[in-house]
Amino acid sequence: MTMMLSARNLGLRYGDREILSGVDLDVSAGEALAIIGPNGVGKTTLLRVLSGALRPTQGEVTFCGEVIRRVDRRLARSIAFVPQMMHIPFEFTVEQIVRQGRRPHNGLRGRWTEHDANAVENALEWSDTSSLRRRVFHTLSGGEQQRVKLAIAIAQQPKLLLLDEPTQQLDIGRQYEIADLIRLLHLQGMTIVAAIHELALVESTFRSVLLLSPQEAPRRGTPSDMLRPELLESAFNCPPRYQPKLVSSAKRRVGP
Amino acid sequence: MEVELATLSHAKERGASSPERRARHILWPLLLALCLMVPLSASLGAVHIPIRTILLASIERAHFSQEQQTILFAIRLPRIFAAALVGSGLSVAGLLFQGLFRNPLADPYVIGSSGGAVLGASIGVFLLPSFTFAGFSATALFAFVGALGSLALVYFVARSHGRTPVVSLLLAGFSVSTILSYSSYFLEILDRDLGTGMRMLASWLHGAISTPTWSQILAIACITALGMIASIPLCRLLDTLALGEEYAQHLGVNVELARGCLIVTGSLLTAAAVALGGMIGFVGLIIPHLARMIAGPDHVRLLPLVACMGAIFVMLTDTLARTLLTPAEIPVGVLMAFIGGPFFLFVLRRAGDSNTL
Repeated sequence: MTMMLSARNLGLRYGDREILSGVDLDVSAGEALAIIGPNGVGKTTLLRVLSGALRPTQGEVTFCGEVIRRVDRRLARSIAFVPQMMHIPFEFTVEQIVRQGRRPHNGLRGRWTEHDANAVENALEWSDTSSLRRRVFHTLSGGEQQRVKLAIAIAQQPKLLLLDEPTQQLDIGRQYEIADLIRLLHLQGMTIVAAIHELALVESTFRSVLLLSPQEAPRRGTPSDMLRPELLESAFNCPPRYQPKLVSSAKRRVGP
Repeated sequence: MEVELATLSHAKERGASSPERRARHILWPLLLALCLMVPLSASLGAVHIPIRTILLASIERAHFSQEQQTILFAIRLPRIFAAALVGSGLSVAGLLFQGLFRNPLADPYVIGSSGGAVLGASIGVFLLPSFTFAGFSATALFAFVGALGSLALVYFVARSHGRTPVVSLLLAGFSVSTILSYSSYFLEILDRDLGTGMRMLASWLHGAISTPTWSQILAIACITALGMIASIPLCRLLDTLALGEEYAQHLGVNVELARGCLIVTGSLLTAAAVALGGMIGFVGLIIPHLARMIAGPDHVRLLPLVACMGAIFVMLTDTLARTLLTPAEIPVGVLMAFIGGPFFLFVLRRAGDSNTL
């Protein structure tokens, strides 16, 4: 079976510092993969390399059988990336921001078509931000801003959605809102790869987990295989007494 | 039925207050005001020429006396058109720079681009007075190179991690601007014999719109028009760049290329404006800001508004500059500093309060 996204022997160095090394990854169409691991292990870097924004110093990434060299409009129509931070300097409204998701499709000269308008409406609806469309982005709460960021990606109508810490700095209720949205997108057939810290959300939202560990090679498995105390302990360097609680809270939220 | 009503009321609500509509509605009155400003401004000055005479004479020249004709066609009209070009050029450059720096306090004067253009122009006047390239004098070419170089320097110094913090931007802009202005003075000291050059430099540094020849106006109008046309796709890019460079890149924008085009276009517009009016500050700051208050932040929508409002604003200020203390004349840069300086402080204060910098 052709994989949607494949990475072989991926490595990245900044000078003497090795950020990634020997990462192999296959993501098939329709999959939902969570990348977990401690801070600084290279989750964001891996996502950026997978998206084409960063060129690996070793190995290569292929998307639908084609090697990714850089992000251009054609690639941006298929892969959407939602970075951790978004700072908007002027008083752009939610709708104006979400419309930018159509940039890869209509380019600089392209006319705004009905299809573009529908894609934006769908994105606003799915992310439950329709009621915020006239609001200025920087006046929104953290959870609302996160949903708007996802709305841009939805408007892009990508095949593959890469999310970098989508639940960062959100309260527990907003975290589950985002998790529900990710599940909804997955059910609609979108392939999703997300770097995520909240282990409690992983099991209920993702079917597959990649654990990046500073000491060991990356490991891949189902959430129940990977969210085991001994694995998490060595990866996160976290005393074992905290782990069972974490895993049991994750298990309480199994299933959509 | 309920749905229809809801859609209707939604559409109504969108129409009534939407900035898109406001932008469309205000553009025509602005264009009309711009057209009306020309005869109004032309009638005012040390010698008053009634507007009626000007309007009648636009149909048939016989209505003019010889003196009126000279005043109007050789002095006032060229200067009015120059003011309009300076205003629209600087304002659009301000819009591009603010979008590029993602910062509402960037304008050609504040970030040192005007200073670079003046230094470049001074080098052209003092060191290579007879140099020409493709029909353009050294003054115009060096002004462009100066604007480009100083902007690239400020950009390089002030940026870190894809953002341009306001403190770094203002400090870098201030330093570069000061170095460049005093370098221009230094050139003046070195070359005291050239009386005309010195006067030209003094007027550039104070921001005085001279009376250009029609061929100069035509050349600058072509450059400004070129800059404006290039700004249309760039404004579309700026809307995407507002999301941040990382986001823009993932939306398929070639960020490096976009940045380069913005710097070159902004510098071209600044250099064209400086060649006619010298260092006029704050226009590029005030006008995009006012336009944003009316039409929202969408750069494509702002472009025609900003060009129009900038032209009107500088025409108005220049008319005041030459009529307030008749027969003496205040350099328009001085008047602009009186209006723009307090406005800049107001924006700084307001932006600081709303934490948008």
